[in-house]
Amino acid sequence: MSDEMPSVFVDEKKLRRQSRRDFVLFGAGTVAALAGLWWIAPLASKKRLLGEHATDFLDTAAARFGLTKERSARFQNRALTFDDDVAEALYSPTRSVRMYRRSDVTPLRNNYNGRTPSPAYIDAWTLTLTGLASGTDIVLRPPDLSLLEQHAQVTRLCCVEGWSAIAGWSGVRFADLLRAYPPAAGSKWIAIESSVNLDGAGNPDPYYVSIDLPTAMHPQTLLATRLNGTPLGPDHGAPLRLVAPMKLGLKNIKAITKIAYVVDQPRDYWADRGYSKYDGL
Amino acid sequence: MTQMDTDKPDPVAELPDSPVADVSPASPAAEATPDDPETTGQPGNADNLEPSNPATEQPSSPLDEHAGQRLVVIKHHALVRLSHWLNVPILFAMIVSGLSIYWASPVFVHKPDPITHSRDYLADLGIAIARLIPGSEVNPSWFYNHFAIGVYNLAGALRWHWLFVYLFLANGILYLLGLILGRGYRALLPRRSMIGDSLAMIRYYAGVVPMKLARRPWPHPEVTTKYNALQRGAYASMPIAGALALASGWAMHKPVQFWWLERMFGSYDGARIVHFIVMIYFVLFLIPHVVLVLVDGWDTMRSMIVGWSARIGGAE
Repeated sequence: MSDEMPSVFVDEKKLRRQSRRDFVLFGAGTVAALAGLWWIAPLASKKRLLGEHATDFLDTAAARFGLTKERSARFQNRALTFDDDVAEALYSPTRSVRMYRRSDVTPLRNNYNGRTPSPAYIDAWTLTLTGLASGTDIVLRPPDLSLLEQHAQVTRLCCVEGWSAIAGWSGVRFADLLRAYPPAAGSKWIAIESSVNLDGAGNPDPYYVSIDLPTAMHPQTLLATRLNGTPLGPDHGAPLRLVAPMKLGLKNIKAITKIAYVVDQPRDYWADRGYSKYDGL
Repeated sequence: MTQMDTDKPDPVAELPDSPVADVSPASPAAEATPDDPETTGQPGNADNLEPSNPATEQPSSPLDEHAGQRLVVIKHHALVRLSHWLNVPILFAMIVSGLSIYWASPVFVHKPDPITHSRDYLADLGIAIARLIPGSEVNPSWFYNHFAIGVYNLAGALRWHWLFVYLFLANGILYLLGLILGRGYRALLPRRSMIGDSLAMIRYYAGVVPMKLARRPWPHPEVTTKYNALQRGAYASMPIAGALALASGWAMHKPVQFWWLERMFGSYDGARIVHFIVMIYFVLFLIPHVVLVLVDGWDTMRSMIVGWSARIGGAE
């Protein structure tokens, strides 16, 4: 026989024993895979597949074996955390994000999850910095920011939904703000908030993200005031938004009203809604 | 019949159970079990199913030294079998979650349809299927509710995708290890005769149903290798497709840290399209793969569980 197909004399009893073992393993694996997929499957999908009663019955049976909903959520969270840890391990503070030409710019959609705030807030807008080395909070207005050196870049914004857009941003480097108003010693994280964010019904729904200090220190992390040469409008986060092109779009918070330097990792709006936390690209 | 791609005489091919013959495991030839219990001879190392030297064996006339033994073909290393079956839930989960991720921002879109309000070709496919099924709701969500883990479930779909991609990666490593340890890679390497052999197989597959209906003999081209030329190509393409799926996936997942991967696919959207096409390729592979294993019979299916085959003559 060709050497691809070695034929061999095998003791009948051994062959039977091993084959039986393999079939038992195969069966056990099939049951385990089905149970595992059922355990982590969304409720709506399970009901569509087997109907309400069978789903209830199987969910109750699974819970009796310890496969509860809470554990399922925790288990799947760990997959997200693991992927975030991989992203963090891959992150290099010296690696720059790909830059594009002005002519590469593509339309950028307003992806506010809720309603876009009416422009009325812009005139009264202030930015509060807390957690500073000085120990006192500072309130900044647009002219204070224009004192810092202005930078421009054309980078890609990648949304967790799958779309992406190339946009030209200008504003100040986050690193320059950190130098001008140094955070308190021991700060590791930055909690950034937008109090003007609205939900779908138009009610206040503050948006918040966490950014780690190395990401904020990156020379391509901007606090942008302009998009493609014109001042930001309310749809893109006037008067100040975060542009961190090494993070998913959902970290690029619009209409920032507060920046807090903190020790522990702050919460994220979308992480509280089942998405990952670190979101490094 | 001609020896198509073998360069040395093959004693086992002369057995009555030639590759064309239907050899069920119960047939006397396959279960060549001599009655003499006294002789023990030199057994193959059954624990590892290590091949003994087939060239010196004369399976056509079972010798006494092989009493209580059975001549089998070692087909798949344990790691290859394990990773093969692990791929079933992993690829299933990757595809159903991937489609739910795709729903959030489809790549292949058109102007909104005035009646269905769909702007996505995959959703259109779902609408076309739903129209054929009596009593089902016809809407753009149908596809994603039946071939994926639902609409408005991007967060859940991403959890699945990241959970299973690391399993897929680990499983791919298991598979490659198994290919090397079991030397199965030799059956996947390209051969000089593969184009001609592929044409012969295409001709065979094209004629097999009409000839059956016409009750005319339609012999399977002789195959003396583990796989026929089409199988060889299809199976060899699987690790490549898997690597492409991983590369294009990571190109979109980490386009900044793996900027060179993104460049490899031209652009961010280039990686998305390659990723999508590889998924289609997996699905297209799966259909004949499952159909042919069912047609081919129990021995082939069983060999992927137990690792050995009773078909001494070769592959089909």
